[in-house]
Amino acid sequence: MADVMHIPGLWEQVRLVAGLRRRILVNNLRRKHNQWDLIGLILVGAFGAFLVIGVAIAVYFGAYTFMSGGREEWIALLFWGIFLFWQLFPVFTAGFGAGFEFRTLLRFPFNLRAFYLIGLAYGLADFAALAGMCWLLALTLGATVANPGLLPTALIVCALFLLMNLTLERLIGSWLERILARRRTREIFFALFILLVVSVQLISPLLQRYGRTAQPWVRQVLPYLAVFPPSLAGRAVAGAAHIHPSDTLLGEAGVLLYVLVFSAFLWMRFATEYRGEELSETAAPARAVLRPVSRVAEQSDALRLLGPQVAAVVRKEFRYLTRNSFAFFLLVMPLVLVLVFSTQFAGKHPTAIKHPPSIDLFFPGMMGYLILILMSPAYNCFAFDGKGIQAYFMSPLSFREVFLGKNLMQAAICLFELALSMVAFFYVVGRPSLPVLFATFAAVIFAISGQLTIANWSSLNFPRKLNFGQMRGQRQSGMAALVSLGAQVLMAGISAPILFLSRWTGNPWLPVEVFAFLAAAAAVGYASSLDPLAALAEKKKETLIEALSK
Amino acid sequence: MTDSAIVTEKLTRRFGSLTAVDGVDLTVAAGQFFGFLGPNGAGKSTTIKMLTGLLAPTSGRATLLGLDFATNPVEVKRQIGVVPEGMGLFERLTGAEYLEFVGRMYGLDRPTTRRRSEELLDFMQLADRPKSLIADYSHGMQKKLALAAAVIHGPRILFLDEPFEGVDALAAGALKALLGRMTERGVTIFLTSHVLEIVERLCSHVGIIAKGRLVAQGSLEELRAGIAGEEGSKTTLEQIFLSIVGQDGSQRPNLEELSWLM
Repeated sequence: MADVMHIPGLWEQVRLVAGLRRRILVNNLRRKHNQWDLIGLILVGAFGAFLVIGVAIAVYFGAYTFMSGGREEWIALLFWGIFLFWQLFPVFTAGFGAGFEFRTLLRFPFNLRAFYLIGLAYGLADFAALAGMCWLLALTLGATVANPGLLPTALIVCALFLLMNLTLERLIGSWLERILARRRTREIFFALFILLVVSVQLISPLLQRYGRTAQPWVRQVLPYLAVFPPSLAGRAVAGAAHIHPSDTLLGEAGVLLYVLVFSAFLWMRFATEYRGEELSETAAPARAVLRPVSRVAEQSDALRLLGPQVAAVVRKEFRYLTRNSFAFFLLVMPLVLVLVFSTQFAGKHPTAIKHPPSIDLFFPGMMGYLILILMSPAYNCFAFDGKGIQAYFMSPLSFREVFLGKNLMQAAICLFELALSMVAFFYVVGRPSLPVLFATFAAVIFAISGQLTIANWSSLNFPRKLNFGQMRGQRQSGMAALVSLGAQVLMAGISAPILFLSRWTGNPWLPVEVFAFLAAAAAVGYASSLDPLAALAEKKKETLIEALSK
Repeated sequence: MTDSAIVTEKLTRRFGSLTAVDGVDLTVAAGQFFGFLGPNGAGKSTTIKMLTGLLAPTSGRATLLGLDFATNPVEVKRQIGVVPEGMGLFERLTGAEYLEFVGRMYGLDRPTTRRRSEELLDFMQLADRPKSLIADYSHGMQKKLALAAAVIHGPRILFLDEPFEGVDALAAGALKALLGRMTERGVTIFLTSHVLEIVERLCSHVGIIAKGRLVAQGSLEELRAGIAGEEGSKTTLEQIFLSIVGQDGSQRPNLEELSWLM
């Protein structure tokens, strides 16, 4: 018989779970080198409080204005805003990876009811839930100050709306946890997320171009939104203001129905978790089958001009790129940016400005901006190697081979992306003059080789491990980011005056000659930096292994 | 068999005020199956890291196959294979891709690397999931792959940090047979394990480290002979280990404190 005197009560269990979460947070902040986390947390906390209070004031005045200005139906807009934030914010901050797993509590003696209620209470501790509750309170206050008779209805509707949001958010969270437990689905989800974020950039130009023609379509869709909880909640409050009890009852009943449906689904999800749900990533091994020896070995090696070790690193980097959905999908960014910036700031009819800059000015600027994006991963080039970094140090090679392999891959990606972007640019905007085109080519080589030297040094000195398909805790090293920014500013600072040389001297080919010289100098500098950097890698290997094997 | 494969002289490693390895003088003859034992935190993994180039010693030197690690790191690395503590795998490669990568890093040509990779994957029973990434392997499968990577270039010294941890009994049996055959062919194996029965069965010689100091070294017979009394010849490695490491009593847990559990 175990020495358990009694099972702790529900509130005691909730208190224990809250204490656990607080302890985890405090211990994370106490970890070595995490003073920046504390400062970051204070800044984020201050920003969060500012956001919540600011929006609460806006919601208060919005509700007051709608209720006192005869536009009671518009209060649904406020419910929609709160609803979207409550449901979407946790998805965006889910981190696409494992954090504190609520299901780990299952090894303790909870019954299903307690597990369910603790799960709901856990949901109330989210930032989105706290913010949502503040805004619902502000909405109730605003509506009640405008029309005191609305208080009972507003309280009931807001309480139902809160429950609906809470159960739906937990339901989505539970499903997300299940989906994101598997690496493959996590990466697909992450890629879709990145695409979504990228496509947001297109909203403004699309609205500029198609906004008016889309209006009738939007009007057709709007009535269907009436069956969703925020519209129903708005209808209930507006019904009370208009003294239409049927509208109020219908709206409240609708939200209640959603609460019941979501609660039932959530109960089923939690019951599945409670009974024990396998989220393991590892598939059961299949029976071993002897396979014929492949004949690939007899094919010619596409990288035969490189040394075997450099070729091995290049191959490994390429495979890592194709398996890193984040990096892979970021490769579409340059094309998207060329399209977005071109429609907004260039061509005959730019959407954002009246007087577009000349192509000869816009083209090198655009390429410089793309290099800034494409080169940033090079400043922490071991980030995704993880424990594999040990393999480099165990192998009989100089670290110069590792740098060569990684840098070749990085340069190849940059050049490929820039070539694609140039084609897109020429198609959308037009071709710059030949001197500017060649000057930009030479400047690209100068910028890439110059930055690779600095980036290799940064990677050795400020390594930080990053995980595939995960956003939570995926910050670059602060110093690496600073070095990256400094190097980019330096390159831009050198390049910009050189480009203007042609105007000042009247010789359009002068920048080409200067950039060609700089590119050659940067390439020589890069080549001569490899041996000292290899020696530095040997000195820094313990720090590197420790930082990347965490 | 009398040539030394591994020799350390006053090998020391400090981390701040902590001396993890303290003046270790170790000699392992070529072709020996050497077991390196010690309690948690004794300095086993730190010693292996220094012997394999993953960690620089604070002082002292290590010589492998007559080559000083400090002056000939690349040549030494060419001769050794390592399964390090964290396995050091690139988890986003498949098993075959990883072995190909390692083979090429050791300078093997592509056909040889491919052939050996296929054979090793078959031997380790990893050939049935050719498209699986290492990240999706179980711990035991990752361990077997790390072992395969450590031997793909035919090393003369093999360093294994807890090689059987998480490996199933079937694979462990095959691995032990393989390692036995390798020592017969003159390969030196330097192994750490917490499972003393494995060390006792496989290893001909043993070194014991405690609190960073090498406290015993020799063949099993020599260590048994060192145990006082007539029972010496029947003494198990566990008893030898406990008598050497726990002789000051500081390593033995006080069971009386847990009387409520018994």
